[in-house]
Amino acid sequence: MSKFKKNDGKKAPSINTSSLPDIVFMLLFFFMVATTTKDIDPMVKVRPATGIGTTDLTPFKQRSEVDFVYLGQPLKGDIEKFEKGIAVQYDGILHKDGIRHIGKWKQDKFASKPAEYTAPREETMTCFKADEQVPMGILFEAREILGDASFFTIGYAASEKANNKGYSIREQ
Amino acid sequence: MAKREAPEINAGSMADIAFLLLIFFLVTTTMDKDTAYARKIPKKVEVEDPELVQKKNIYKISINNKQSIQARDSIIKPEDIELLNSRIKHFYLINRGKVDDRNIEYPYYSMVSKDFINQRISEAYKKQETYEKLVEKDSKYEKFIEQMDNEIAEWNRKQKILSMYSKASGKKEMPEIAFQAHVRLESFIDTDYSAYVAVQSEIEKAVTELRDIESQELFGITYTAMSKYYQTNLLEDTPIVKEYKEKMDLIDLLFPLRIIEVKPKR
Repeated sequence: MSKFKKNDGKKAPSINTSSLPDIVFMLLFFFMVATTTKDIDPMVKVRPATGIGTTDLTPFKQRSEVDFVYLGQPLKGDIEKFEKGIAVQYDGILHKDGIRHIGKWKQDKFASKPAEYTAPREETMTCFKADEQVPMGILFEAREILGDASFFTIGYAASEKANNKGYSIREQ
Repeated sequence: MAKREAPEINAGSMADIAFLLLIFFLVTTTMDKDTAYARKIPKKVEVEDPELVQKKNIYKISINNKQSIQARDSIIKPEDIELLNSRIKHFYLINRGKVDDRNIEYPYYSMVSKDFINQRISEAYKKQETYEKLVEKDSKYEKFIEQMDNEIAEWNRKQKILSMYSKASGKKEMPEIAFQAHVRLESFIDTDYSAYVAVQSEIEKAVTELRDIESQELFGITYTAMSKYYQTNLLEDTPIVKEYKEKMDLIDLLFPLRIIEVKPKR
């Protein structure tokens, strides 16, 4: 009756894995092309705000025309130590002066740009990567300091919003 | 000597090596792109008696500390924020191209023509000449001459843009929105970043959509596509980059994105 042959005694045929490296290399190259290297480890919690029609900063980054400032609650340490519970991260440090340090930091950043850097100081962008609950007062303080030092271009970081999703506004 | 066959290299561990590399890249890189809204901080200018901005030219949006939005006279709840889109478009479009029968609560448009600009240029030259004869040459004089030179350069630039517009659209006159027209964005000290960015997003979206439609009609390519190309190839001096820049300047003039961000007082 049975249509199936019992093939006892025979071993299962081995799978040819010689093309496995090729597949893995393909994956590897895909990831190398599609991703960018992490520049720094975040020390503050940043849940990105969302928006439509944002400008892609990749070309600015390639020309190193943009510097990032991170604002949010500190991941480690005492929240109470920071003004309004918001820490400001410049490159690798949480500065104790908070946002008031931004003028000096930006000045140093601009001075340490490579010699072939040609963009004038008013076109060197400062991009705020702020947590969605950061109060705007802090950012306006930063705007004023940057404006006085004639760094006139700023960016409000936001991740591109999915079409069917709403904005991440917290209601009160 | 007898020929020996070259021994085969065992490639069995090749996959392991590739996996190792792959995992290394997965860990050290991020997938998400950095995106942002680029804005300018206005320069500080000292003016003795500043000109008053007419109320019809201001579209005021304020966000309070409870993320509730007020656009002109109406209150918009945070979940209805998408309403802003059509309102901002309305602000730009209602009087567009109209010479009479205009809505007095919205910014007026002027129809710019070639003769109009030529007239302005000759007027400026005349002014400069008469001033030259009248006054002795001091620092104030230099300043005035420089100002007039700038004005003439600006009109010449507009003349170029107008001729491009006429060529693309076949029309002799170009609608230009009142130069004072702007969106005024007010917030509180405690307004959330996300709400502020959401409003920025709605403004940006509305203006970009208007620009895209206009650009598609005039040149058959969207503004977004042009600006993306321009941003990535900015440093190259190719004819296409220049062409896009000129086209973008024209669209910018037709639909200017002017946002004034007001420092919160409370």
